[in-house]
Amino acid sequence: MSNAARSSANAWLMLLLAGVFEIGYALAVGGSEGFTRLTWSLVAVVFFLLTLYALSLALRTIDVSVGYAVWAGIGAVGAAVFGPLFFDETLTVTKGVWLAVIIVGVIWLKLADRTKPAEAQAGTPEAGRLTDRPGTVTV
Amino acid sequence: MHWLYLAIAVAFETTVAIAAGKAEGFKNRKWTAITLLSGAAATFFLSKALLTFEVGVGYALWTSVAGVGITVIGALFFAQRLNLNKLIGIALVIGGVVGLQLSGSA
Repeated sequence: MSNAARSSANAWLMLLLAGVFEIGYALAVGGSEGFTRLTWSLVAVVFFLLTLYALSLALRTIDVSVGYAVWAGIGAVGAAVFGPLFFDETLTVTKGVWLAVIIVGVIWLKLADRTKPAEAQAGTPEAGRLTDRPGTVTV
Repeated sequence: MHWLYLAIAVAFETTVAIAAGKAEGFKNRKWTAITLLSGAAATFFLSKALLTFEVGVGYALWTSVAGVGITVIGALFFAQRLNLNKLIGIALVIGGVVGLQLSGSA
């Protein structure tokens, strides 16, 4: 693997980790009942710091638009899946369908994410072809 | 008033993502501080808004507007490349979150 590819893989692992911490944050905030319960509130603060730290590391490589969507998406999936374990919630078929849509979207973004082609592929013969592929717009 | 709270929560959530990107893994102190303070403020104002909004509806609005805002700001001010594939993926994820939150409140 090239350095750029390895860096991208690490960033995606870090982004997934940030999403997992975000799940913990969402569940802890729910459990804290408006930050009135001390233990849950402290757990929420810890996850809050962890999720933003991991997100910040991931966004060094991944575009913020892609990173935010994946981060929020994983958080929502996790909260829907694990919520019923902790709280009075149910996971319905309809919710399951939307979970699938989110997961497909996250995988899609991972595959679509060729971060910063100018840097990542600079110096390789393919650089021009990858950068100039149809559908790429610079705003 | 709850619409104002939600709008403020969206603004702070957008700031969180932009600032987290500039905080360089918490090495940049100024942007780290902005990230953490915005995150706390976003949570605070969202919880205020959710006292009135139905939780699923409030969450759906919050995530979707913030996601679109972050995408637009990233493209306009941070020269981040968007392409059709990325837009499709972002739309799938954010659309999925909205669908999920709305079906939760049904």
